[in-house]
Amino acid sequence: MMSNLFSVFDPSTSIFSLSLNWLSSTLGLFLFPFSYWLIPSRYLVVFNSIGGTLHKEFKVLLGGSFKPGLTLLFVSLFLYVVFNNFLGLFPYIFTSTSHLSFTLSLSLPLWLALMFYGWLNNTQHMFAHLVPQGTPGVLMPFMVCIETVSNLIRPGTLAVRLCANMIAGHLLMTLMGNTGSGLSTIMVSFLILGQICLLILESAVSIIQGYVFAVLSTLYSSEV
Amino acid sequence: MGFIPEEWFELFYKKTGVTGPYMFGVSFLTYLCSKEIYIMEHEYYNGLSLAILCIVGVKKLGPSVAAWLDKEVDDYEKAWEQGRVQQLEDLKSAIEAEKKEQWRAEGQSLLFEAKKENIALQLEAAYRERLMNAYAEIKKRLDYQVETQNIDRRISQKHMVNWIVSNVLKSITPQQEKDSLKKCIADLKALSATA
Repeated sequence: MMSNLFSVFDPSTSIFSLSLNWLSSTLGLFLFPFSYWLIPSRYLVVFNSIGGTLHKEFKVLLGGSFKPGLTLLFVSLFLYVVFNNFLGLFPYIFTSTSHLSFTLSLSLPLWLALMFYGWLNNTQHMFAHLVPQGTPGVLMPFMVCIETVSNLIRPGTLAVRLCANMIAGHLLMTLMGNTGSGLSTIMVSFLILGQICLLILESAVSIIQGYVFAVLSTLYSSEV
Repeated sequence: MGFIPEEWFELFYKKTGVTGPYMFGVSFLTYLCSKEIYIMEHEYYNGLSLAILCIVGVKKLGPSVAAWLDKEVDDYEKAWEQGRVQQLEDLKSAIEAEKKEQWRAEGQSLLFEAKKENIALQLEAAYRERLMNAYAEIKKRLDYQVETQNIDRRISQKHMVNWIVSNVLKSITPQQEKDSLKKCIADLKALSATA
């Protein structure tokens, strides 16, 4: 399935043209720790610390509109995106987040839900948001236009940011790897070195992009 | 080797010895590569770099991260333990306080004994004093009786003596008087003769 210009570079698994690629999104579930016993294991401590730190961060970002349990959505969004990004770095694992269809189906429903809820329930409040505080009176019409446009492209930016970052990294890795077969041994070692640097960058990017996605969703939800 | 189970290695040991499984692995991989069943394309080089990165990362950062995580787990466990230990200590100190209270209560019984003794002594003293009083009173009365009897006897004796003397004097005739005087003089003469 050509969901993407660069999907030729993705490993493809299909049964009678039913693409099984997307099953890789469920791989993240296998990485969740078991919390059966009272005393946490090392891995569970990592999860708990990540979850706890994120919860504190998002609680601060949500500010006054914080309700208990609201940060759960954003923490799980973060974990989902980070798992999918990071697992895509492994060989022969399909990166679902590098496809616009996937990232858009994460960001668009979120944004649409927030917009519908906000505009139908707090219409006045949403209108007020279109003009930021402290704008001079002359600029107000233009500010409305600009804010409307920025609001409307939010799902697009969220999706495309994540997708483009993932594609860029994977494309570089793939292209570098493809030249490996025709090189001498010494050059291959340089190639490996370069790929190691890229991989470090890619791991950082995968985590950061996940974080950015979650934080922006939090901010958009706090504006409602 | 870390991710291959030991049992798979041991399968080979009987037939081929210790180098068996390694030979098998290497030759199997060589077969896959030479027959182009496994093609070394970009995924292979990606996997190679990732493997090197992972191994170096685990070897370098592994111990410190593991130590930090172990500390976190220990802290968590200690927090739970703390509650239990705290309760145990509280209960122990409550037991100690209870024992002390019991000892104090025992001391109370000693106090009671002392008070009882005190009162017994006082009662004894009062009893003895009254006994003495009674004795003195009775002695006074008896002394009085004795005195009256003594006086009675004395007076009756005196009276009797006077009566006897008066009667005797009355009964002494003058003849008897002369006889007794003569006798006395004769006795005296005899005594003076022997002396």
